[in-house]
Amino acid sequence: MSGLWGVLQEHFPELLAGFLVTIRLVAIAFVIAMVVGAVVAALRISPSKWLQRIGGVYVETFRNIPLLVLLFISFAGLRRAGVPITPWIAGTASLGLYTAAYVAEALRSGAFAVGKGQIDAALSLGLSYASALRRIVIPQAFRSVIPTIGSLVIAMIRNSAIVGVSLLALPDLLKEARIIQSRTFETGEVFFWAAIGYLVLTLTATVAFRFLERRFEVRR
Amino acid sequence: MSYLLDPANWQWLITDRDVLFILEGFLVNLEIAAIAIVVSLILGLFLALARISTLRPLSLVAGLWIDLWRNLPLIFMILYFALAMPQDWREAYESIVPAFLPEALRSGRVLAALSALVLYNSAVLAEIMRSGISSLERGQGEAAASLGLTYSQSMRLIILPQGLRRMVPATVSQLITLNKDTTLVSIIAIQEVMRHGRIVTSSNFFGGVQAPVLQVFIFIGLLFIVVNLLLSRLSRRLELRERKRTGTTLRRVSGLEDQVAAESDVRSGY
Repeated sequence: MSGLWGVLQEHFPELLAGFLVTIRLVAIAFVIAMVVGAVVAALRISPSKWLQRIGGVYVETFRNIPLLVLLFISFAGLRRAGVPITPWIAGTASLGLYTAAYVAEALRSGAFAVGKGQIDAALSLGLSYASALRRIVIPQAFRSVIPTIGSLVIAMIRNSAIVGVSLLALPDLLKEARIIQSRTFETGEVFFWAAIGYLVLTLTATVAFRFLERRFEVRR
Repeated sequence: MSYLLDPANWQWLITDRDVLFILEGFLVNLEIAAIAIVVSLILGLFLALARISTLRPLSLVAGLWIDLWRNLPLIFMILYFALAMPQDWREAYESIVPAFLPEALRSGRVLAALSALVLYNSAVLAEIMRSGISSLERGQGEAAASLGLTYSQSMRLIILPQGLRRMVPATVSQLITLNKDTTLVSIIAIQEVMRHGRIVTSSNFFGGVQAPVLQVFIFIGLLFIVVNLLLSRLSRRLELRERKRTGTTLRRVSGLEDQVAAESDVRSGY
């Protein structure tokens, strides 16, 4: 069977499987990125110079290193060193830790946007630093940070393709497309549907975040 | 941990030509990035002009084009172009390419890699330029018009020089991303640093000393970190200088991954 719709009909199960793997990869990596990113952001804005520096080292390391190099280090490198790392752990951890650096920076700007005066006021009212963060800074910073996080999610969807391509046992959408293409050589058709798959994901993410932006909009 | 720090595993750094071989590969990455950024800037300018054009259809098409290339994974594009590129294009490239370029850049697959990189980066740069241009107060355009300048004159003499200057820090940031993305071309067997790294790790390549994967790629990672750190310092300095000159800089361009946050460094209280 050939032709655009023919290819879709014939290979839909495989493409769908790849599509779902991609979603799963991005979802897990997103959670890792948000958690680690929040921790690193907290380090970066903490009063202690040393904690700030540790956060800074993390951010500069993971922002300036290519994701592919990170994947090689985490999978091939650690495997050869004897650490039992599965492809899923290497893939999600790499993507997650890599994006966490960007999340941390986004959260940090968000916190700055709230303004130092708010923290001072909270502290002078007797709130602990942690309480001040939790009740005053974070709810406000949250709103301003939504668009940036949205674009990071889209970046993650795009970067997930790198994970699939380099780690053998992670058959994501791009990987499936390559496998099908190498069997049937219907390059244009298969890659067309894979592209549609990725565009569906990024479009959904864009719409979802635009909705969130509007939902949490500051009403003046 | 002991594996990581074991000096025997770092022996390869001083043995024979391993490090040199890796650096040669790294040079290929930098060259690809350089070519891609130059072509992307030119193409991006045209795209940006199309995007802000008053002709609705042109602006719409440019917008769709930009959104398309910004949303697809770059590795997807590289792979597709490499697989779908007709043989004659590949041969045409190989006959055109100048001889002073290194061996690695003369393969026909480089055309596929560069096409993908340029399509993506021109779209991103177009958005950056559009942000830069639209960040100018309307007054500039209106003043130019009231002086009797035509659209193209006001663009050329007033709007573009100012708008484009504002986007320099963001462009340098994009160059950092581009640097990292050049590693992706190793997937289509272009001989750059990732490939050279893998060759070095295959046993007894140079001088018979085992170069373990972990150490080799940590070294490669450090190469990128150093170069990109320098670029981000440059970007920060440019942004601060621009702010001192004009009092305003380009705020966040929506949707860019690598935004070097110069403003967070200005210790205005924190």
